[in-house]
Amino acid sequence: MQTIIETKNLRVEYKPQASREPRKVAVKDLNLKVCAGEVFGFLGPNGAGKTTTMNVLLGFVHATAGAAYLFDVDVREPISRQRIGYLPELTYYYKFLTAEELLRFYAKIFKVPRDQVDRRIDQLMKLVELDHARKRPIKTYSKGMQQRVGLAQALINNPDLLILDEPTSGLDPLGRMKVREIIQRLKNEGKTVFFSSHELGEVETVCDRVAIISQGELKVAGRVSDLMKQYQANLEMIFLKIIGYQPALAMEAA
Amino acid sequence: MNTVFALATVVVKELYRRKDFYVLFILTALVTVLMGSVSFFHDAKIARYLKEICLLLVWVSALVIAIGASARQIPSERENRTIFPLLAKPVTRWQVVLGKFTGCWLACGLALLMFYVFFGVISGSRTGHWPLAQYLQVLWLHWVMLGVVVAMVLCGSVIFAAPSSNATICFIVVTGILLLGRHLNQVALREPEPLSSVLYAIYFLIPHLEWYDVRDFVIFDHALIGWGSCALATLYAAAYTGLLLFAAWLVFRRKPLNL
Amino acid sequence: MSRTTTQVLVLVLLLSGTFGLATLLQPRAEAWNRRGDSGSVINVLLGDSRRLFANQAFTEADVYFHSGYYPSIFDQTEAPTNSHHMTAQEGSAEEEAHEKQMNFLSKPRDWVERFGRHFEITQHTHLESGNEREILPWLELSAELDPQRIDTYTVASFWLRNRLGKVAEAEAFLREGMRNNPKSYEILFELGRLYNENYQDHNRARHVWELALRRWQESEPQAKNPDLIGQEAILIQLARLEEKGGNLGQAITYLEMAARTSPSPAVLRQQIAELKLKLAGSVTNLSKVPSAD
Repeated sequence: MQTIIETKNLRVEYKPQASREPRKVAVKDLNLKVCAGEVFGFLGPNGAGKTTTMNVLLGFVHATAGAAYLFDVDVREPISRQRIGYLPELTYYYKFLTAEELLRFYAKIFKVPRDQVDRRIDQLMKLVELDHARKRPIKTYSKGMQQRVGLAQALINNPDLLILDEPTSGLDPLGRMKVREIIQRLKNEGKTVFFSSHELGEVETVCDRVAIISQGELKVAGRVSDLMKQYQANLEMIFLKIIGYQPALAMEAA
Repeated sequence: MNTVFALATVVVKELYRRKDFYVLFILTALVTVLMGSVSFFHDAKIARYLKEICLLLVWVSALVIAIGASARQIPSERENRTIFPLLAKPVTRWQVVLGKFTGCWLACGLALLMFYVFFGVISGSRTGHWPLAQYLQVLWLHWVMLGVVVAMVLCGSVIFAAPSSNATICFIVVTGILLLGRHLNQVALREPEPLSSVLYAIYFLIPHLEWYDVRDFVIFDHALIGWGSCALATLYAAAYTGLLLFAAWLVFRRKPLNL
Repeated sequence: MSRTTTQVLVLVLLLSGTFGLATLLQPRAEAWNRRGDSGSVINVLLGDSRRLFANQAFTEADVYFHSGYYPSIFDQTEAPTNSHHMTAQEGSAEEEAHEKQMNFLSKPRDWVERFGRHFEITQHTHLESGNEREILPWLELSAELDPQRIDTYTVASFWLRNRLGKVAEAEAFLREGMRNNPKSYEILFELGRLYNENYQDHNRARHVWELALRRWQESEPQAKNPDLIGQEAILIQLARLEEKGGNLGQAITYLEMAARTSPSPAVLRQQIAELKLKLAGSVTNLSKVPSAD
């Protein structure tokens, strides 16, 4: 099966604030593989290195050592991002543009053929239920609407890989359900979804495989069902054990 | 180039949806019309003072638009976090720099066109003639100069932390060059060493933006500047613009962008 | 003490404080109001500092006179220090001195300067053919900013009446100058020229020039460097007027007064000699006329 995301001994270090302090290691020798068609959950506590890993995959930050690949193309090449869609946790888009203008702009960057642009925008506007507001500037949108615009722009190029950072953060239960439906639909179409989330219940439901990272190191990776069988616990318990939160297991044992 | 023009279109849209340009244009028009309504010794044909005032306002407004718009492009992308969904697309940082420059420069060009059309109307209504070739020449040189200014400010925006400090510094530098650039060699010759050498080095290094300030030719109805000289001046400006944009890219490409 | 009482006491204290402050500031406020009463926007905004800008406005008029060709503060040759060239006749000594002064563009020192010359005005020209009107706004502004600057009125009047055919406007401007500078002999002199040359009202011109001479005699002799050229100009004009009117004796008197203090009296002495000859000739002719007896 084709490897969509791969990291090889990925290491990211940051310069400290004060010169005497040692360099901060955000990601330590991470080796990760995500195959085509998978829904992959990338989990970890705050400060574990999830965001840094995503920054490297998206080209925002350069790795100190090691390598990362998207579709077997080094992430430092812009072309590696031709077939991906990215939804950031915090949705910030050009407030002075309308949703339609924003999608048109991104479609132009992806060189989506002109005859397909209008059709795709119509489809996406209907999918995220923003058809009624497509001509309004984004600065007039609510948070939920902005999140939906974000989803639409992540799908504008019909990506083969979707990278989602906390996709259900800030959404109401209905919004979360819709996101889960979209992820399931993409999976059915053979797309790959890579997302980070703190909603372990959701991850357990939708993901094929997960990886848990803590203090920059990969602690465990595998199929959700295999991990649950191995640890004889739900994903939340496994997560807490992996990151070393002992009292939870003591309570569980009791 | 598709990506660059897409970015440029977004920049132009932003600029014409902000109020800055309209405020400056209305201010320029208002002051010019007010000054035009003043009568000096019952002579309705006096035109040059009005041309000078109008062109001065056009120059100040154009500089405010160019510097103000360029100074906030990249910093606001970072501050508003719109740079992340942008760079998550197949867009290089060079394309971002070039796209921002193209957008700001095109926006300045559109603004200049409106200002100079207004100037032409005012001037023609007083003098009764429209030296279109001269207006085009002045407009072209002004626009080319603004290209250097936009590139300078974009370069500053990736170096300085705050857009306000970048804008202030660039405004002072540009005004200094416009007022003193022509005379720096004279000043250098009068100073002792090593100050003389330092000043002379600065004199050769700075982009001579004062060449492009040819308002006097329009105000005092002088003949056209040679088109060959204009072409060379355009090449000179293009070289400086390229240099400054390259420097901006060199700094920008190394900047980590953390989510 | 209850909260309400405290609040009331604080309010009373504040009110007393503000009334006391108002009493203290009242005289200053009246002084400001007086400035506001002046009626001129520039006077209200700038106060006495407006005179600093008057020089700049006058220089701008000179720049306009030269169609933009003007030395900067960095050029070796100083900018014209007086305005005589703006009213000088072509070929006169003043005009020649001015030409020399305006030759400030030296050979370019480097390629930057050489190329930059293409974008500068490098031709020395003067406004003509009615375009002299373009300097008028700056002269009016200069007069507004510094009403005590005499040059402004005399230069503006020269161009208005001589080249632009606006004699009435020139007279009105000179009268405004007179109101602001009642002791100015220069403005009176220019006014006299206006009556003499433009209105052909020689009598009035004579009265005005005589007044100018009196004004000069009241102020200039006590000055450190009296304006002898100014006096000479008034006396010569009076002499010409008298000569035209046939009063050769009076003409000679004026020319002799001028010759006493003129830097170049030779020309004047020759004119005096000619007039004396003329006078002698006319007396002889009179004596040859037979008497009515």
